[in-house]
Amino acid sequence: MMVMDGVYLGSPAYALGSRKQHVRESAEAGLLRSAASDLEAAGFRWHHVCGPDESAYDLARQAVAEIAGNGGLRDIDAIVYATCLPEPQQHPVRDVKMLMDFPASRLQAEFGLRDAIVVGLHQQACTGMLGALRVAKALLVSEPSWRRILCVTADRFPDGAWYEQAYNVISDGAAACVVGREPDVCRLLTVHHITNGGLGRAGDDETVGTYFAYTHRIVRETADRIGATPPELEWIVPQNTHEQAWRILARLLAVDHGRVWHPSLPDVGHVISADVMVNLAALLASGQAQPGDRIALAMAGFGLNWQCAALEVTR
Amino acid sequence: MTTLITGADGYLGRRIATALLGSDDLVLGVRAADNAELNRKRAALAHLSHLGHQVVPVDLRDDDPFAYVDPGRITRIVHAAALIRFDLERADAEQVNVTGTARVREFAERCDRLDRLMFLSTLYAAGRRRGDIRESRLGDVGFVNHYEWSKWAAEELLLDSDLPVTILRLPTVIAEDATGAIGQFNVFHHTLRLFHRGLLTLVPGDPATPLSLATAEFTADAAVAMLAANPGIYHACAGPVALGEVIETAFTVFEADPDFQRRMLPRPVSCDRAAFLDLADAASRLRGGALQPVLPSLLPFAEQLYLPKTFRADRLRAAWPGYREHDSLAVVAAAARALVVALADRRADSDAAVSRGASSERAASGSQTAEKGRAHAAAR
Repeated sequence: MMVMDGVYLGSPAYALGSRKQHVRESAEAGLLRSAASDLEAAGFRWHHVCGPDESAYDLARQAVAEIAGNGGLRDIDAIVYATCLPEPQQHPVRDVKMLMDFPASRLQAEFGLRDAIVVGLHQQACTGMLGALRVAKALLVSEPSWRRILCVTADRFPDGAWYEQAYNVISDGAAACVVGREPDVCRLLTVHHITNGGLGRAGDDETVGTYFAYTHRIVRETADRIGATPPELEWIVPQNTHEQAWRILARLLAVDHGRVWHPSLPDVGHVISADVMVNLAALLASGQAQPGDRIALAMAGFGLNWQCAALEVTR
Repeated sequence: MTTLITGADGYLGRRIATALLGSDDLVLGVRAADNAELNRKRAALAHLSHLGHQVVPVDLRDDDPFAYVDPGRITRIVHAAALIRFDLERADAEQVNVTGTARVREFAERCDRLDRLMFLSTLYAAGRRRGDIRESRLGDVGFVNHYEWSKWAAEELLLDSDLPVTILRLPTVIAEDATGAIGQFNVFHHTLRLFHRGLLTLVPGDPATPLSLATAEFTADAAVAMLAANPGIYHACAGPVALGEVIETAFTVFEADPDFQRRMLPRPVSCDRAAFLDLADAASRLRGGALQPVLPSLLPFAEQLYLPKTFRADRLRAAWPGYREHDSLAVVAAAARALVVALADRRADSDAAVSRGASSERAASGSQTAEKGRAHAAAR
């Protein structure tokens, strides 16, 4: 498998729902299905929920505004926007163009990205952000004149929904980054994806039950794509899930558990497709990742989908 | 010969009783809380009692469990009664499997004409040993669960006596016979069911760990054959199969099942002991998690899958004229096929129940509509 060369990832940014709640508070409010004590035993403490007037688009705009504030939105040729939940509709729809108020187009207009085209991804669930990286890389390969692609993910749970999926506490949130040809903080080596549509309607227990075999496989195959074995990866940055899950996976993969980086678990929980970027930003900010270190970003989502991106720290 | 069988209505006790039907006068000991239960059990064993064989209450928890058996008649005892669960509490295991066996021994010592006392034990009386396990008396090296310990302790009680004792250590029974028909679901079937449903994708144990799996037919035949052999210790097992081979064989069967194919489930990954304990710990706290009903029996057994051992059966083979070794992997495949059929039947039953529920809901809703119609008419 040829490794992608000359494609870089930078400017990771994120935004979270404005209300920060403890899981006990949310359990009392009927927002969770499991007992708060069980979720705390799994490592969850806090999560972030949107206010009544806060939308997924608001969170996306906030994350992208951070990139814009650092001058990162220059030369954007495309926006790849990943979501997994439809925007809630307030009223019955007579004119279906109401359903085509696309957030990527709104972002393009709002940030004046006049040269950017838009691409939407909405069937990869919690792995969508990694799917956006993959599509961005493919666009850079197929469009030699393009320079930089803005990748965005944003989701917000509808009012009244449980903020718990497959035993994970959920936060509303968004993340964004830029994939481009110019050297940046990480080189994007590869993105690998497995879908099992046979489990498309899987319940929580099947989702958890199949998590280990598939996550083991996706990380192993991703490492293989870059000519490495899992223990040779310096870091694994997963989505936030039950803290024992990665203790188990680290053993299966023969990876040092101390190299599995998900420090935001107690503070934000699982941010749908965004927590992998929350954790990546934390790793890069920690100064612990050294140039040459290889990082696997691993995510699982409904569909069922599993994706893993391999990065190499450049500076 | 007059043979007393304890646990005669149990899975293997019943089979052994049937096998001895033509040659022995049988006294069939069954546990019954009261006369009603005793009568139910007599009815279940009617094919034996109608031939003149006696069905008597024998509860090993009683001080005198053999009050209804004349010791002067008994020439052989097959002690099959036991609590057989890997998640037994120590007190329960001790009360029935150890103290109960002590009561069998006391009774046997009163049987003047006794020719043989056969105790059905388990291969896992070997406890935490690894490597070759011979057909000989075992020391205490520690045990994975109280069930194993209780069987070992019961063996010791009998081997310390002067009675003509045969210890038959049994394998894991996974099917009735070569057809794979499942007579009794146990941890083997429950674990395969989790794999089939995609609820578990980790396999505890080293894939190379040998397993001793057998049919009830083979096991009962071994018991009958060893009743005729000299007293001693025997392992009722055929050639071992590796855990990894068992999983591969079961998945080859599953993957031919259209329902399984549609879900495209992955083959499971082997994990070390610590990882499996972590999984069990996490699963035990998941709200209504699907592993929870199986974990109590799987966990105490899974530990053995990290303690590879091979049970030698040289004495059994030498003492069993016409010994036939079955193909253990063929039995695994047949049992996996039977399990797939059982799961499909269960799904069909469940679908039918849902469909019946929907019909009666429609009917109820129809009658409600009629009620409303009548109410409106009355109002008019």
